[in-house]
Amino acid sequence: MFRLQGSKVLAVDMTGDAVKAKNGSMVAYDGQMTFKKLSGGGEGLRGMVTRRLTGEQMTVMEVKGHGTCWFADRASEINLVSLQGDKLYVEAGNLLATDAGLRTGTTFTGLRGASQGNGLFTTTVEGHGQAAIVSDGPAVVLRVGPQYPLIVDPGAYVAHQGNVRQSFQSGVTFRTLLGEGGGEAFQIRFEGDGLVYVQPSERNTIAGDL
Amino acid sequence: MSTYASPGAGPAVHDPMTLPADDNVNKYTFCVELKGGQWFLQKGKMIAYYGTIEFNGIGHGRLDRLVRTSFHSPLHASDWVVAGGSGKMLLADRAFDVNSYDLDDGNLTIRAGNLLAFQPSLALKQSIVPGFLTLIGTGKFVAASNGPVVFMEPPIRVDPQALVGWADCPSPCHHYDHGYMTGVLGGLRAMTGLGGVSGEEHQFEFVGAGTVLLQSTETLMAEGATGVVPPEPGVPGGGGTGPGGHGPQSSGTPRLPGQLGDLQRRFGL
Repeated sequence: MFRLQGSKVLAVDMTGDAVKAKNGSMVAYDGQMTFKKLSGGGEGLRGMVTRRLTGEQMTVMEVKGHGTCWFADRASEINLVSLQGDKLYVEAGNLLATDAGLRTGTTFTGLRGASQGNGLFTTTVEGHGQAAIVSDGPAVVLRVGPQYPLIVDPGAYVAHQGNVRQSFQSGVTFRTLLGEGGGEAFQIRFEGDGLVYVQPSERNTIAGDL
Repeated sequence: MSTYASPGAGPAVHDPMTLPADDNVNKYTFCVELKGGQWFLQKGKMIAYYGTIEFNGIGHGRLDRLVRTSFHSPLHASDWVVAGGSGKMLLADRAFDVNSYDLDDGNLTIRAGNLLAFQPSLALKQSIVPGFLTLIGTGKFVAASNGPVVFMEPPIRVDPQALVGWADCPSPCHHYDHGYMTGVLGGLRAMTGLGGVSGEEHQFEFVGAGTVLLQSTETLMAEGATGVVPPEPGVPGGGGTGPGGHGPQSSGTPRLPGQLGDLQRRFGL
């Protein structure tokens, strides 16, 4: 059972079950816990090779036991996501912890990843359960509906879930080349039905200055 | 309508109907509603938007008239864009606190790096004080700060790093604790830190009627460009001397904060 203690610490109450968490993110625990490093994200040999190839490396540990375990990551804000059979797409670096019952994997994202400087692949989390993602500043959760597509700056994108199509839109014109661009040369457009997590801060992206 | 309900006790989910109009979503995110109007914003501060919004550099031909009336420092135009269209747009700046302020036929001077966005009913001008911008008129603007902003009434002396801006009081000046700082011993204290330096010997002083805006840390935000001023004599920051130049005194190494003069001068050399 995941719960937030403050906005920067995740407390997980466990009764013999397990969670997967980012390696080294445990800050405290009480009760009996065992920590086991899972090589290659705990997805077996195939997952390990895929992660190595796609650059979505994830060092994950499995925490199992009875009691409460607290997790935190560089004082980043933590957001809880509950999944009911749908799929969460998140960068490996932003994933803090998942229920052991959730499946993780990698998927191709195309140009969006490239524009964020995160590479062409992203991590997926699937199944029923809870996940915790970290962001720089508390994430704003924005709904995408059929009537209202959402456009997001690649540097502020954290994660999304649901049945959402994403496309890459570019505002590069001859003005950008003259240094008179609109400052938002690359954007990701989300359409469909789902939720998008946006952080109030922009990572440095290649398009950041255009 | 949507199958993705708000996740239990999780964070609130926003859509274009529930997002506030021209107000904060949380402490770090501000939502601007555009209904065919326009907003000026600093490049790269938009994090997401609904609707159809266009971002154009200030140099865009169609914006000439707007820029003429509400933008008066052409030399840093490349840092600003105009958002136009209709929809709701979220602004944020590196997870700093953001707040909006209303000016009613007033004026406010703000550190250039802190200003995020403003309505075109306000005119943006370079301040005579280097590194600051002045907004004049009626309208709303959005500013970021490191920690929440506090408002103070003059007369007040403030720490240079905590100053965000000031409204209506035309008297920003430097203040030094001379009694503590002068003399050879004072100079040695200031330079070496021996004998106790509080680090607060230099302040900004404000007197008169108005409001002074302070941030609650002494960590400055990154400087924003204010553009250069014409290289005329008598223009601060633009005269024959270099930036921060004060005539013949400013030679060699940059001054340490709080330092009053060089040792040679204290010895009368």
